[in-house]
Amino acid sequence: MNSVLQGSGNTRQIATQGAIRIEEVVKIYDPDGAAVMAVDHCSLDIPAGEICMIVGPSGCGKTTLLNAIAGFHSITSGKIFLDGKLLCGPGKPQADPGSDRIVVFQNGALFPWKTNIDNVAFGPLMQGKMGKKEIYEKARSMMADAGLSGTEQNYPGEVSSGLRRRVEIVRALMNDPKVLLFDEPYRALDSLTKSVMHEALLEIYYKNKVTIFFITHDLEEAIFLGHRMVIMTTRPCRPKKILAVDIPHPRDYSVLTSPRFRELMDETVELVHEEAKKSFAAGEKEG
Amino acid sequence: MDQISALLKRAMPFQMVGPDVLASIAGLAKWKSHAKGDVIYQMGAEADDIYLVSSGSVQHTMTGNNGAAAIEKTMRSGDVFGWAAVMPAQARLATTVCLERTELVRINGAALINLFKSSPVIGDVVMSRFATMITREFGIASSVADKVRRLPQGARSTAELKVQSAPPTGLALTMFRFSQWISSPKPYLMLTGFAILLGLWHFTVTVWELPRFESMPGLTVVVKEMFSQNPVYGLSVFTPEYYQHIGVSVRRVAIAFFLATVLGVSLGLFLGWSKKFREFVFPVFEILRPIPILAWVPLAILMFAGTETPVIFLTFLASFFATALNTMLGVESIDESYSRAAYCLGANKWQVFREVITPGAMPFIFTGLQISVGVAWFSLVAGEMVSGQFGLGYVINTAYTMVTYPTIIIGMITLGFVGYTTSAMVRFAGNYMMQWRVRELALGGN
Repeated sequence: MNSVLQGSGNTRQIATQGAIRIEEVVKIYDPDGAAVMAVDHCSLDIPAGEICMIVGPSGCGKTTLLNAIAGFHSITSGKIFLDGKLLCGPGKPQADPGSDRIVVFQNGALFPWKTNIDNVAFGPLMQGKMGKKEIYEKARSMMADAGLSGTEQNYPGEVSSGLRRRVEIVRALMNDPKVLLFDEPYRALDSLTKSVMHEALLEIYYKNKVTIFFITHDLEEAIFLGHRMVIMTTRPCRPKKILAVDIPHPRDYSVLTSPRFRELMDETVELVHEEAKKSFAAGEKEG
Repeated sequence: MDQISALLKRAMPFQMVGPDVLASIAGLAKWKSHAKGDVIYQMGAEADDIYLVSSGSVQHTMTGNNGAAAIEKTMRSGDVFGWAAVMPAQARLATTVCLERTELVRINGAALINLFKSSPVIGDVVMSRFATMITREFGIASSVADKVRRLPQGARSTAELKVQSAPPTGLALTMFRFSQWISSPKPYLMLTGFAILLGLWHFTVTVWELPRFESMPGLTVVVKEMFSQNPVYGLSVFTPEYYQHIGVSVRRVAIAFFLATVLGVSLGLFLGWSKKFREFVFPVFEILRPIPILAWVPLAILMFAGTETPVIFLTFLASFFATALNTMLGVESIDESYSRAAYCLGANKWQVFREVITPGAMPFIFTGLQISVGVAWFSLVAGEMVSGQFGLGYVINTAYTMVTYPTIIIGMITLGFVGYTTSAMVRFAGNYMMQWRVRELALGGN
């Protein structure tokens, strides 16, 4: 389980599944007859087990890309593959949502009317793949692994926001997903909680073989977590620069003060700032 | 001692504790005054007591792991700190210094734990509130908080632990809330409100005899009539007719409300859930909804035979619209990410309807039901005034034509009480079915 590839700077989990291939994807919104291009011929290859950080200003169209992979939205043209299997493309504009790709939402989407453990057990219960007793046993042990024991019978509204995020990730992992799609999940957290969440996320990642597609506008977050960061242009959205973060995993918070981290910040901050300015000038709304 | 109890009652972990246990906790407490700049304890020192701030302020500095930035927090009146004392073999995690002249109450941690061993249920509530407070206010990882959460069970088996650590639900929670309510100023304010209303009635009608008020029945007349063994006008709480009228009205409302809830909730859920269904049903619904219930009276009498069915139909109609509309709004209010998350987790459309849409709309449904039970009484009385042989509306209408004014007021007061009771029952059912909401709100300090 705990097999981390050491050696080259760009170490990642030995995962055999979860490679995403995005080919020339275009998404045009046409709300009132005025076509808006959100994603413009975007191509990206994410190998299995990589933490790929998608960086760009708010509203640049990165969420559109995530929604296309998750199957919440259709694409206008192009193709998206998961492990060589077509998710969406010509003839099938919208992917089917499925438990192989699970989204962790911006504002959290734990069901407030279910206790934490019922939330965690939700996926397998719905899919009916295992017995109820087995599901709850697995849920209990996975929650314990993530330091969540004692909160099983609480409702999400009763625990801290940091704990809620963790429950949500465990809920996703219960389904043995190939890919986790994060849509700026830590955006609303204060910086202290955020730093704790980052370490917790890495800890969970080191134990589970998943590919992580992580959207953020926070450069520090991107460098700290990612194997690679993809800096996006503002609307229409396409990769502007792809950068390998050559700081070896496993990482902890001491990385933040390392010289290499500072160098990477310096290298990228200008690029991101430029896009943010463009986005600001275009008057993009938050979101 | 009372002062300590009052202070404890304000502190988040002890809010739910009943007066007896609170008094025993207060018995363990000691007052201590500190001057500005006094160090109460240093990080790493042995943790013995927990502290409550009575007045003044204390700087609480916690240095994180791996040299992470220190977390500073100023503790003020009603805040609790020094909770390392209730964790097993834990040294102080922070350094605390008085920022001004400060009055503190200190309670020995070990003694507190000992006390909880004799009342484990309350102990559990306090400890889990400690844990919540620590995670929320100090951003401490839950793994540390867990130590607190699990503490008082020491000697007990894990099976017992499971049962004990469940927060109070159902009846226990209601009892907690009732005891809190009765010891707050709320019930006394409520009584004052009633006293003002009755006073106004008595003075305007009987004492001052204001113009246009003189023919109204006075407070004393009504009360005498209502509780008379031999009522002048034939209706009091001692006559069987009184209960017959109530019974008939309640039965009509019950039937109408039940039908309106079953049909209204289902229609509302489908209206909110299926866009197609909504396209052809909602416009019709929206045209029918604003038609006042009184306008339906002739049609109701024409359509239904007898006197009973038209009244029930009218009562049903008003409730039904209120429930259906609120349910639909409830479905619309559900954040899209909930259903998206459910689809991601492998749920099919029907499962999303059952597991996400229905519970998610629940708060709105119950708001709708509150309104619906109110309009049910409203339209019932309207219906009973027009047609019907029994019922409270019938009582009021007949009393008016027979010039037996005190009976009108008896009917009105009875409607008020019965209506309030049904509304309270709906609210109670709602709280029972939405424990998650009750508990969320309880933590919000309500």
